Amino acid sequence: MNNPHHLNPTSLKSRFTTRFLRALTKIRAQKPISSSSPTEIFRRYRRIKAAADKSMAYSVRSRRIWSRAMLWKLRSRSYRRQDPCSGRRSGKTNQAIMKKSSNENTTTRREDGVGFVEEADELRQLVPGGETMNLCNLLDETAHYIKCLTTQVQVMKKIADFYSF
Amino acid sequence: MDVTVLDRQQATYPLELCASSVPLFQSYLGSGPIVDLKRPEAYLGGDGFHEFVYFPVGGGPEFGDSEKLNLVPPDAAPGYCISRTSSCQMTAFHAASMKEEREDMILEKMESTTGSDSRESFTKRKAEVVADHKSKDKRIKGEVEGESEVKTKCSTQVSRNSSKENSKACEVQKPDYIHVRARRGQATDSHSLAERARREKISKKMKCLQDLVPGCNKVTGKAGMLDEIINYVQSLQRQVEFLSMKIAALNSRVEFNVENLPIKEFPAYVANFPAAAKLPAMPNLTCFQLNPMQKEAVNCMLNETMHPPLTATEGIASASVSIPEQALSSSTITLQPFSTWNMDPQGLYNVYDMGFH
Repeated sequence: MNNPHHLNPTSLKSRFTTRFLRALTKIRAQKPISSSSPTEIFRRYRRIKAAADKSMAYSVRSRRIWSRAMLWKLRSRSYRRQDPCSGRRSGKTNQAIMKKSSNENTTTRREDGVGFVEEADELRQLVPGGETMNLCNLLDETAHYIKCLTTQVQVMKKIADFYSF
Repeated sequence: MDVTVLDRQQATYPLELCASSVPLFQSYLGSGPIVDLKRPEAYLGGDGFHEFVYFPVGGGPEFGDSEKLNLVPPDAAPGYCISRTSSCQMTAFHAASMKEEREDMILEKMESTTGSDSRESFTKRKAEVVADHKSKDKRIKGEVEGESEVKTKCSTQVSRNSSKENSKACEVQKPDYIHVRARRGQATDSHSLAERARREKISKKMKCLQDLVPGCNKVTGKAGMLDEIINYVQSLQRQVEFLSMKIAALNSRVEFNVENLPIKEFPAYVANFPAAAKLPAMPNLTCFQLNPMQKEAVNCMLNETMHPPLTATEGIASASVSIPEQALSSSTITLQPFSTWNMDPQGLYNVYDMGFH
């Protein structure tokens, strides 16, 4: 292939792209073009968005706090959909884990002279799993999260452009 | 023998340094203590080099990770420019080999002066501040651990101009303690020292985040920067939602045959989109037009993102009542609608969006 910009096959971008495309084909295969009603499209949008988040989280694996949190959220959501009882069970154990880790971090979460608690809390709500992070980790995770989001946006943009022609 | 930070950093220079990396590499080696990392392609374009641009992570257990954010922090650049004669015309490989030479020199000098204990100073260690013998007049040299930056300042031989780092030096005398030099006029008890170290860590990370987020340079102050960062993350998340909506709408219109395309090669096609437009397997697609039904669907998505409490049915109902036409001025759905309903602080990001194309 005469490709001057060979994609590194192990890079985040290529991992995300392959996973996302596979997920798209699966979504496509599940529901053929039955109707273009707004509800249909909306449901499909939901599925695609979940697939995008899932692909991104799986590409990062468990190396990051935010990816772990996102994976847990997605899994618990799917468990809840399958079986309401099991969702409650997994929710409990995971809540225990989250509480425990937040207890470990509460000592480091005090303000001590760093005067932007409100913004930090807002950022914590944005970044998945941010509630259990102290400021240091939060900034690290935010940087990595921003990088992954930009990759995601790039790839999805190209895919969308690809279809719109 | 511990694998030193320097060895690891050598290992992370990928051998596939292609020509596009040279500008980044030049800026990394050729400039002074302040490395110019404001090139958008540094964190958008070449994918192998995302790993170079970001600041060090904690320094702790993540250090051994091969694909994590960063092992070559910007602030280490001064450490490797022993002589400032490095010209900017070096090729990447030449630069890498020169860097290895310098690292060898550093290692030799470190060994000669401080013995093998100094090597252990480079490895990750929990931060402990020794507070008892600190006084402002004593010239205690120590290394602040926790950052994986290597400030290799051999006391005698290597002279460096980075005046920023003069307050901390790194000749370790006791490998188990972190010696922090107290600056003039500041308290020296352990709490405030630890706090100061933590605050400086945080400000360093904020600076690196500043490089990541476009348009952050104009805002000063941590709170303003955090607001910018929050806005940026929100805009990115909304972009993802919008794009997934777009793909959903397009998916319903278009025959999507991925089986024809080899999945492994598709990412490469995606990367070079103009070339990929001429794929033989691609069906002949006409220009995509949004019919009113799909416009409604897009609107309900927009309403949802703007007013989260709205449920899907409510959104659709409200959309059927009034379709804001200005949001969908063009017949083909592009990113223009996204920019029209953006709020003002995100005007910067529209400019940034255009840079994507």
